[in-house]
Amino acid sequence: MTRYLLDVENPNLDGYEKAGGYQGLARALSMEPALIIEEVKKSGLRGRGGAGFPTGMKWTFAAGDPKFPKYIICNADEGEPGTFKDKAILEKNPHILIEGMAVAARALKAELGYIYLRGEYPKGKDILQAALKEARGKGYLGENIMGSGMRFDIHVHLGAGAYICGEETALINSLEGKRGQPRLKPPFPVNSGLWGRPTMVNNVETLANLPFIMRAGAAQYVKIGDPGCPGNKLFPVSGHVEKPGLYELPMGTTLREIIYGQAGGIKNGKRLKAVIPGGISAPVLPPDAIDCPMDFVSVQKQGSMLGSGGVMVFDNDTCIVRVAHRALEFFERESCGKCTPCREGTSWLRAILERIETRQGREGDLQLLEDVSRNIAGNTFCPLGDGAASAVLGFLRHFREEFEEHIKNGCPFGPDDHTRTVIAR
Amino acid sequence: MISITINGRKIELEGPVTILEAARKNGIEIPTLCSHPALELWGGCRMCLVEIEKMPRLQTSCTVTAADGMTVYTETPRVVAARKAMLEFLLINHPLQCPTCDKAGECALQDLTVRYGAVAGRFEEGKRTFPENVDDPIIVRNMERCIMCTRCVRMCDSVQGASAIGVVGRGARSHVEPFSGGRYNCEYCGNCLNVCPVGAIMSRLHRYTYRPWQMDKAVKTVCSFCGVGCTMLLEVRGDAIQKVSPAFGKGVNNGLLCGRGMFGYGYVGSPERLKTPLVRKNGKLEPASWDETLAFAASRLLEIKNRHGGRAIGGMAGSRCTNEDNYVFQKFLRAGFGSNNIDSVARLGLLHAQGLLEGLFGQGAAANVITGIAGSDAVLTVACDPAQTNPVMGLQVRAAAKAGRKVVTIGHARGLRRHRTHSLPTVFGAEGVALAGLLKELLRMKKDSLPGENLELEAAIKEFKLPEPEETERLTGVPRAAISDAAAALKDVSTSSIIAGRELAASMDARRNFMLLAAIGYIINARFFLISERPNEQGLIDMGCAPDLLPGGRPVSLHTFRESYEREWGVKLNPEPGLTLMEMFEQAGDAVRAMYIMGENPAFNLPGGKKIMEALEKLDFLVVQDIFMTETASLADVVLPSKAWPEKEGTYTNLEKRIQKLDRALEKNGETAKEDWKILAGIGKHAGLNNMPYAASSDIIDELARVSPLHAGLRLKDLEQEGMMWPYKGKPLGMGGHVPLLPPMRTMAKAMTTDAQMPGPGPAVEITGVVLEIEKPLFHSGTLSRHSGALLDIVGGPEAKMSPETGKKLGITEGGKVKISTANGEMVLKAKIEKGLPAGVVFAGNNFREAGALGLFGYELEPESKTPVPMVKDLEITPL
Repeated sequence: MTRYLLDVENPNLDGYEKAGGYQGLARALSMEPALIIEEVKKSGLRGRGGAGFPTGMKWTFAAGDPKFPKYIICNADEGEPGTFKDKAILEKNPHILIEGMAVAARALKAELGYIYLRGEYPKGKDILQAALKEARGKGYLGENIMGSGMRFDIHVHLGAGAYICGEETALINSLEGKRGQPRLKPPFPVNSGLWGRPTMVNNVETLANLPFIMRAGAAQYVKIGDPGCPGNKLFPVSGHVEKPGLYELPMGTTLREIIYGQAGGIKNGKRLKAVIPGGISAPVLPPDAIDCPMDFVSVQKQGSMLGSGGVMVFDNDTCIVRVAHRALEFFERESCGKCTPCREGTSWLRAILERIETRQGREGDLQLLEDVSRNIAGNTFCPLGDGAASAVLGFLRHFREEFEEHIKNGCPFGPDDHTRTVIAR
Repeated sequence: MISITINGRKIELEGPVTILEAARKNGIEIPTLCSHPALELWGGCRMCLVEIEKMPRLQTSCTVTAADGMTVYTETPRVVAARKAMLEFLLINHPLQCPTCDKAGECALQDLTVRYGAVAGRFEEGKRTFPENVDDPIIVRNMERCIMCTRCVRMCDSVQGASAIGVVGRGARSHVEPFSGGRYNCEYCGNCLNVCPVGAIMSRLHRYTYRPWQMDKAVKTVCSFCGVGCTMLLEVRGDAIQKVSPAFGKGVNNGLLCGRGMFGYGYVGSPERLKTPLVRKNGKLEPASWDETLAFAASRLLEIKNRHGGRAIGGMAGSRCTNEDNYVFQKFLRAGFGSNNIDSVARLGLLHAQGLLEGLFGQGAAANVITGIAGSDAVLTVACDPAQTNPVMGLQVRAAAKAGRKVVTIGHARGLRRHRTHSLPTVFGAEGVALAGLLKELLRMKKDSLPGENLELEAAIKEFKLPEPEETERLTGVPRAAISDAAAALKDVSTSSIIAGRELAASMDARRNFMLLAAIGYIINARFFLISERPNEQGLIDMGCAPDLLPGGRPVSLHTFRESYEREWGVKLNPEPGLTLMEMFEQAGDAVRAMYIMGENPAFNLPGGKKIMEALEKLDFLVVQDIFMTETASLADVVLPSKAWPEKEGTYTNLEKRIQKLDRALEKNGETAKEDWKILAGIGKHAGLNNMPYAASSDIIDELARVSPLHAGLRLKDLEQEGMMWPYKGKPLGMGGHVPLLPPMRTMAKAMTTDAQMPGPGPAVEITGVVLEIEKPLFHSGTLSRHSGALLDIVGGPEAKMSPETGKKLGITEGGKVKISTANGEMVLKAKIEKGLPAGVVFAGNNFREAGALGLFGYELEPESKTPVPMVKDLEITPL
């Protein structure tokens, strides 16, 4: 995915074509839609949005629904803190996404696609619009794609800044002009999505894997990375490392390799204190867990999740309570308000963490944090609340003493600017 | 058959339902807050979580469909713990205002807290606060009490179709607000507060006046405002209606109400109610005793009968009165005074419309179930605005639209403007032309391949001379493409509903209009519905309050029918049909010397207002029975105070022809007034009539059941649940060997086609200029609504409404004064400029004193039915 943008000097259509761009689409156009889905199934590609659902299977569901028209939606509402992988594709290699969507459209016989773009990515919108224009000009989109008679076009829709709209049904609501709140499932979007029609929602990175699978074939693809979960994965690495940035590595690369081998280790010679392996919703891991291979199954075994693959690294001078508080500020603000436990629970958790960080913690607060988190977990309408609860439980599991220390003696790291603002408020 | 197990109990289910429904049907209670049977599945509050075997997470029982073999547990320790947790979450931000909250005692959250709540809370942070919002005169919002179940928003959006409120903000700061800000700009259906489980959205009408447990009773009855006949509960305390509440799951409305029904009950307790009989002495109405007044009225009526004959007495029966009242009314005049001069507001169109439809399709042609509208493939409304005049029927049309069905409106249906798929906004009076245009297009598209079920009608349809598209466009002002699109939308539907307004029959072209409507209805397989603006307008017709019809719709002129009534009543009846409504007024002081008007206000509610006033003044004797001193009552010689709707027992017949029971809710209120039928029987007694020996209104129903073949065998107890639908247990005409009322279809069709001329636009129409149209607003319907404080708070007075373009054209600005003058008179109104109104039309209502726009209209009589056709002459609309 990143190869193209590294191989060519400028990420325009010429460069993309030179690097083999749109050859995957050309092959897809020569194939029966059902065979494309077969190929994707064989590739073992799993969704890169966070849940890791097998892409081919999802496509089978959408293709199996007799209703038409069908829609393709690219979920580019990349709102997970610590995650900036889709941004790179959107801004630096837009054609790989367009090609991927066109392949998906071919497979599902869809004629219209939408890119639901995170509201904070206006630059991406301009780049995408320009790329779409280029693609239409060359006949990669439009009424008669590459002379095959296939019709497909893509609209870009800029979101309004809600994390929840990364959840596919909330995204569809938002796209329809409604309040961004998740819908009841079933029916799933593959059967009743946008305007009640079968709709395939795929993450940017998932779609960006398709051109290679189509061009080189599933047989080649499964050779990359972990055989149980093949392909490359984009790892956005942030925090206290020497070389933060985006890394494309085979699925199953260990956290140690990512942090120390690729990102240059902990900044300023400090020690690793904690790492969040897959965006803020993934529970934190302690330093002794970093030999864990980064794939869906292994990270789950460690009690966390691969999620978006957003690796957030914290050094030994980081206050974990503060991290937890910031995380919960995020969840509280982004909770859509639809279901009780998430709406009320996230704000309660934030308030407790705020007290602990600002030296107003009490005995029993940790028990309360655990209780509230457990009351949220598993009882919410969508995974947002679960994410908040498991984040808190993760921090408590690995850093309980630090919380206790806060309650007894206050924050050992002293207040930072943000905490001062919170206190002032 | 689906078989599931709940708490170890095996439950068999007929079809797929949610676990919650399955449980409730079997008496297993699962607590809920956000779910509501009228609303779409939501799953937000998480109170109804249950444990299902083989599912790791708890599931919301309100959203999971029961599948065969499921094993469900609703009260395991895990479930109860989760429920307690959800309740704890809901309470952290919920203020503990129960001691001052009106909802306490009937609050779902309070009840759940009693059952599952903890002794003490663990939340020690500050609660979220919102100031109470009292910007609106009717609805108060306390958003800190809101638990975000969003029932109100879903109700407003998907059931009411008003989309006036929404959730604002995110997460814990979410709250509900009207899009208009503080004061609501909505339909005031009140359905939002009816579904609020807590005290977040409440009515201000009864704020802080009682606690729910202090209510004496809740009486199930039928609304008194329009012909839909919504079932509602009157909650009574201290012999006053404290509030109206919905009866979900019951009646044609299934708990839904409109602004008038929900908030308009204030008139009942109005201090302006008439309290004692009044008799005109020396030109002034003076209070008098009941006995004295009844005796006086009897003697005057007898005197006139003796001098001029019974036919010199005319009567106007009451569309707000019960069937019992109206039955006695016509009997009083027919059997007591030998007069068939009995008519009612049904003469303004409903009677003729129904007669024409029944002539084509048989009796009961418009007796269709309202709730079927939502399931039609298409709905066509003609010359009516159901969402304004019959709001809950309008909701059915909106529901059809929401389900993606076609909704075509002909004329100005403002209440459907955001819901319909096709609009043919022809001016008032030209609806018939639009129908002709639509039929022409339908026939063209169907290539004359008609259903083949009624060859007689098809032959007639093919003989129609229909206008060319350009002619239709010229006469209606509707582009031909719009008519074509509408026809295309309708041509292939398998079931449809047609709703027609009385104006279609109040036309010189009435017969033709209905022939066209019938033809379209035949092609699109329609069920017909006729707008009825009053609660018992249909009952008037069925009770024989028409000059030519006996109760049960039997012609008075036919001996075979007359006979059974004569036997029961013990008198010979006059076989000659009497005068129609407008004829009575026209012959006042001449052939008609006295009139008896029961619960109607013709001086205000008929076209030609001034003329009617003059006619009433010409009478030797005028008796008016009413609950208020109306324009008509103030001209009377005798005014008799009658009981209002919640003070009496009886029945109403709604526009579906469903007979429904009213239950007495108030005992002492209106104590000095009497039931209409009792007053009549009292006068009868003084006049020596001994055939009205009723002790209770049920005696009248019993008599009706004996004498009217249509109502044969009807018993009050048959009406207890959902009322009873036409044809009851009786024999409708045209079936079982009876002769049809009207000439057979072929003759009727011939009559249509021999006249080659197609309908022209009505006389009130000037395509290029500005026309005056009577507005039938949502919040007012005249005599009652103008005494309802809440409705006056919503809309306080008369307005002349027009679109911005029309205002500009006439030089009229918002809030300015407009003078409307016609050959019949003039009036000055406040201007209201409203977007979305059709251009070139000024709307004025007929609801407020001194501002009855109907009085600006003259009329001519349609020769066949004597229906008054409103006419405007010399219209001028100018800014002041």
